[in-house]
Amino acid sequence: MSSELTSPEHPSPGITELLLMLLADARLPTSGHTQSGGLEPALRDGLDPSRLVEYCRTRLATVTLTEAATAVVCRHRALAGQGTDDVELAWAARTPSDAQRAASRAMGRAYRRLARHLWPDAAVLGELEAVRHPSRPRALGLVAAAGGLSGGQLVRLVGYDDVQTVVSASLKLSPGDPMKAAGWVLGLREDIESMVPRCADLVDPHLIPALSAPLMEAWAQDHAATTRRLFSA
Amino acid sequence: MPESVRGTRALRLGVCGPVGTGKSSLIGLLCRELADRLSLAVITNDIYTDEDARMLRAAGVLAPERIRAVETGACPHTAIRDDITANLLAVEDLELDFDPVELILVESGGDNLTATFSPALVDTQIFVLDVAGGGDVVRKGGPGISRADLLVINKTDLAEHVDVDVPRMVREGLAERDHRPVIALSRKNPDSIQALKAWVLTQVDSFAAGALVPQDPGPMAPHGHGDATDAQDREGHHQHQNVPAGDR
Repeated sequence: MSSELTSPEHPSPGITELLLMLLADARLPTSGHTQSGGLEPALRDGLDPSRLVEYCRTRLATVTLTEAATAVVCRHRALAGQGTDDVELAWAARTPSDAQRAASRAMGRAYRRLARHLWPDAAVLGELEAVRHPSRPRALGLVAAAGGLSGGQLVRLVGYDDVQTVVSASLKLSPGDPMKAAGWVLGLREDIESMVPRCADLVDPHLIPALSAPLMEAWAQDHAATTRRLFSA
Repeated sequence: MPESVRGTRALRLGVCGPVGTGKSSLIGLLCRELADRLSLAVITNDIYTDEDARMLRAAGVLAPERIRAVETGACPHTAIRDDITANLLAVEDLELDFDPVELILVESGGDNLTATFSPALVDTQIFVLDVAGGGDVVRKGGPGISRADLLVINKTDLAEHVDVDVPRMVREGLAERDHRPVIALSRKNPDSIQALKAWVLTQVDSFAAGALVPQDPGPMAPHGHGDATDAQDREGHHQHQNVPAGDR
């Protein structure tokens, strides 16, 4: 698979499906195990664990949609041979919590590291040479460009990964039947899919949805200041 | 096959072992002993973020900003073994922020007897036990006890209170480890501290000379040990990929 992964020119649909699986797999070495999608501080502040699905749905409709849209615009720019500095700025302007921005950039660094290893010669990743702390959606957008993922696949990846991050962390923080948890993820498929028509074709950073989730931002800020964390964010 | 790593970056020394055996104290001790001759930094992996990092900062053995904590999402084993990304990013940051750093001490979250570092994260590693865990722990074996680069038997000053025969524990450790080094350590015994310090400096020199080859203690039990009959023994003694010839 590696030779096909390293020639991103015109990958076949089958190959991009495999890449999508690789990127959505929790075993990907990008420190995904350190993330809870904001769930740890939410539970600490009293979020009822039985409302986990609604929590995920809220994220998908707000912060995750902003993230997916950012990734899509970055992918577009990279494929057009253009830079993404202003896309990162647009994302940052829509992510007012510095704790959330820092968490995203920590993850972005992990993807940057992996991407440069998997596609050492990909021109679309050239920007990552100088940008050491890309936000996660920026790094993912460039990875999608390098690997030939479509905008829709990229949006699904961001949505699915967000849900799976929260649900998997819930099994550590507030454990229940893991089969039920898998059912929650599947049950959110329509919510994830509904993000695709909303942002998969975006090309203009100004049109990235600005959807603030103030309570989640406050939780993220609290979490960054606590000294007793299991998860980084 | 693992390759030797050259001294163009900091030597990464892992410290692992069960909870409460004195990993943080050992790191504090090394900082105190080595900070005047080496540029040091420390990364802690904790259950709750930064307990160990705060303890080390409070001990005043190293500039607080040179001590960083990594969250492991309740997966301390993963963070030092299969997805080492968070730790590697912390290593990278420390190397950039305090260039040149010569030695980075990476403390694992206190885990059980099976957790050891990936050779992709650390160049050499110490497994820490203490006498209070009982004199028979060494005989239980496990990858860290048997094949870490150094086994430290800590808190030997407590031996008389817990009825542990330290020389015997060391003997059994050497036997279990095919004579890889064992140090019986007490912070009240200057000779033992010197022995530890000397071992670390040897690793630093070996690394600088490009002669250090990171070894995986492994999660797997070695073959061919124990009371095998001749026939079983012959069968069991096949070539290991992760243990250099001459080391067995």
